[in-house]
Amino acid sequence: MNFILQLLHLFVSGDFWQLALRNAALLSLPALGGVICERSGVVNIAMEGMMLTGAFFAVVAAQAWHNAFFAVLVAAIASGLMALIHAVVSIRFHADQIISGIAINIGAIGLTTFLNAKLTNFQGLPQVDPAARLPQVTIPLLSSIPFFGEVLFQQNIMVYVAIALLVLGNVLLFRTRLGLRLRAVGEHPQAADTAGINVYRLRYGAVIMSGLLSGLSGAFLSIGIAYIFNDNMTGGRGYIALAAMIFGKWTPWGAFGACVIFGLGDALAASSGTLNVTQYFYILQMAPYILVLIVLAGLVGRSTPPAADGVPYIPEAE
Amino acid sequence: MTAPTAPPQQQEDVARPNFTGWVRRAANAMAVPAGSVIFAILIGAVIFAISGNDPVLAYQAMACGGFGLFCFGGETPALQIANTIFFLTPLILAGLSVAFAFRAGLFNIGVQGQLIVGAILSAIVGIRLGNWPAIVLIPLVLLVGIIGGAAWAGIAGVLKAMTGAHEVVTTIMLNYIAYNLLKFLVVNGPMQAPNSSAISLPVSQNAQLPTFIPADSTFFGQPGGVYHVDWGLLIALAGAVIFFFIMRRMALGYEIRAVGQSQRAARYAGVSVRRTIIVTMLISGAFAGLTGAIMISGGSLHYLYADLANDSTGFDGIAVALLGLNSAIGVVLSAILFGALHAGGSVMQSDAQISSRIVQILQAVILFSLAANFLRSLKLRLPGPGRKVAEASGEEAVQNEFQAEVSSAATDIEGKA
Repeated sequence: MNFILQLLHLFVSGDFWQLALRNAALLSLPALGGVICERSGVVNIAMEGMMLTGAFFAVVAAQAWHNAFFAVLVAAIASGLMALIHAVVSIRFHADQIISGIAINIGAIGLTTFLNAKLTNFQGLPQVDPAARLPQVTIPLLSSIPFFGEVLFQQNIMVYVAIALLVLGNVLLFRTRLGLRLRAVGEHPQAADTAGINVYRLRYGAVIMSGLLSGLSGAFLSIGIAYIFNDNMTGGRGYIALAAMIFGKWTPWGAFGACVIFGLGDALAASSGTLNVTQYFYILQMAPYILVLIVLAGLVGRSTPPAADGVPYIPEAE
Repeated sequence: MTAPTAPPQQQEDVARPNFTGWVRRAANAMAVPAGSVIFAILIGAVIFAISGNDPVLAYQAMACGGFGLFCFGGETPALQIANTIFFLTPLILAGLSVAFAFRAGLFNIGVQGQLIVGAILSAIVGIRLGNWPAIVLIPLVLLVGIIGGAAWAGIAGVLKAMTGAHEVVTTIMLNYIAYNLLKFLVVNGPMQAPNSSAISLPVSQNAQLPTFIPADSTFFGQPGGVYHVDWGLLIALAGAVIFFFIMRRMALGYEIRAVGQSQRAARYAGVSVRRTIIVTMLISGAFAGLTGAIMISGGSLHYLYADLANDSTGFDGIAVALLGLNSAIGVVLSAILFGALHAGGSVMQSDAQISSRIVQILQAVILFSLAANFLRSLKLRLPGPGRKVAEASGEEAVQNEFQAEVSSAATDIEGKA
């Protein structure tokens, strides 16, 4: 009984929701990238590797220039280059996109740990200098609203960026001509091509966009949350984002919904100390994953990818 | 999202299953993966050179660690080969697990979770029933591992078949549930061994797979106990034979391949797609569970440990399956290569002071080159590992399979008559 009361208490505390939203935003960036990429017809399971690349290069750049903005920029570019490899291999060479994605994920672990050992002579990169960390931004006035102020308006700068990008991404995909074209390319590239749409260019753009977004998320993780780079520090978050994307049926807000479930789970696990349930900490940690399974089985059901997802486009003339 | 499919069979070769035809088919199938490996070795040499290391020295150390060849750091070649076998044994089974699901067009990304559930059940039986005789206990330990993995994957199979829930999401979710179940049991949990942290008790001697080299003997100047080569290798190879048998000699294998090519066409051919999906996931999970069982019953540790949740065997299985083109023989060969790379990397790090993680960069290059089929771009006309390009050809593909199957059966009968 006491446990239930404490749990209820937790669910009305601002700290808890603040943490949950932060974790959700972290996951929503690669999930949004995945949505854009797969809507264009290129399967992307490489968010994990691109995030890890971003996390590593953000810390390297932060070390070099002590500037968070440059660090984020470098992270986005590095992940964008990883995405470019995926794009070239899957679009230009019509490769199997799952193989390419797995290669990125394995390669990113190899590349980051190899460079980490090489650059620091096996010592590992040091903690991120406070000047180069992504700042908390408290929005004046709004942040003094009880509860909602703390949850929504006292967050890391990257949380606002992530929410803004979700809004933008949704508008782009469903309210603009570019979005319509992108979705056409993912559903029926032949028809899109006939209508004069450049299939390859849109797909390249979408894949690279997924890299940039995953890079932002990686930078958020390393210089906004952990303040250090550890080998394989993303620890499967890219795969969780992949699951969120599919769970959300390839829509930005659907994916974000799933990210909130995972974010709540993370926050719950982080609060297990205050709940006095250390013995059942790991059982508690299962909650979001079980919840997603149940929702998937009962409510969401079949999620159908874009029709041409994963099918390389080869023009008739070739 | 569709899974990669096996390369289309060359029909004229299937029709004449004579020796030269077989060799030609094997050479054709091997060309792209082998070319990818050579390409990766060349790229690796460039990476070594750029990062200021001697490529020859690096590869020499890797050859020593992988195959016991050209050792210069005082290593025992036999021990290096034993290490490679130690690494490749679970990779074979994990690769078979992923490949089996791929053949039905299912992407089982949850091998790690299934392996952990199998390992948990194996450990429980191996500890609790420790005084049972080995001849009963070992098969039982393997069996409960298989059941655990199959059940865990079966959840994803049933969800996929009944509600259409995407297997990539469900198996990822099941992975995390399994990781947390493992940690709940061994980190200050009911299975944690007294006076230790985050590990369980070892399974009893009777639950451990027999080793080829007795621990109290001396083998190539080393005590036998350091060689962890056990019956797990034979079990893994038997798994590959079973895989081949199901795929090529059983109606089930035909149904799985038909569903993998095109669910619609398979349905027209009278195959129950739902049943096939569930059975495929059960068998795929069984391979994964067996991986977990031999990691407990065989290998070097014989106990559960929390870090199994961060172990990459299940994910490496994906790479092994892909490089092996989802065939039984291919999986065994690529597991040998990946096992040798893994073992070779650690010797390279100790002998040549190069981070062993470069091995993963090499693995990535192999996969890129395999996927992109750079060789084909060089205008060598070789069959590609890429998926079938047009979805519309699905029915045609099944038809071709039918014809190939019928004609090969016909030749078989002719041969016997």
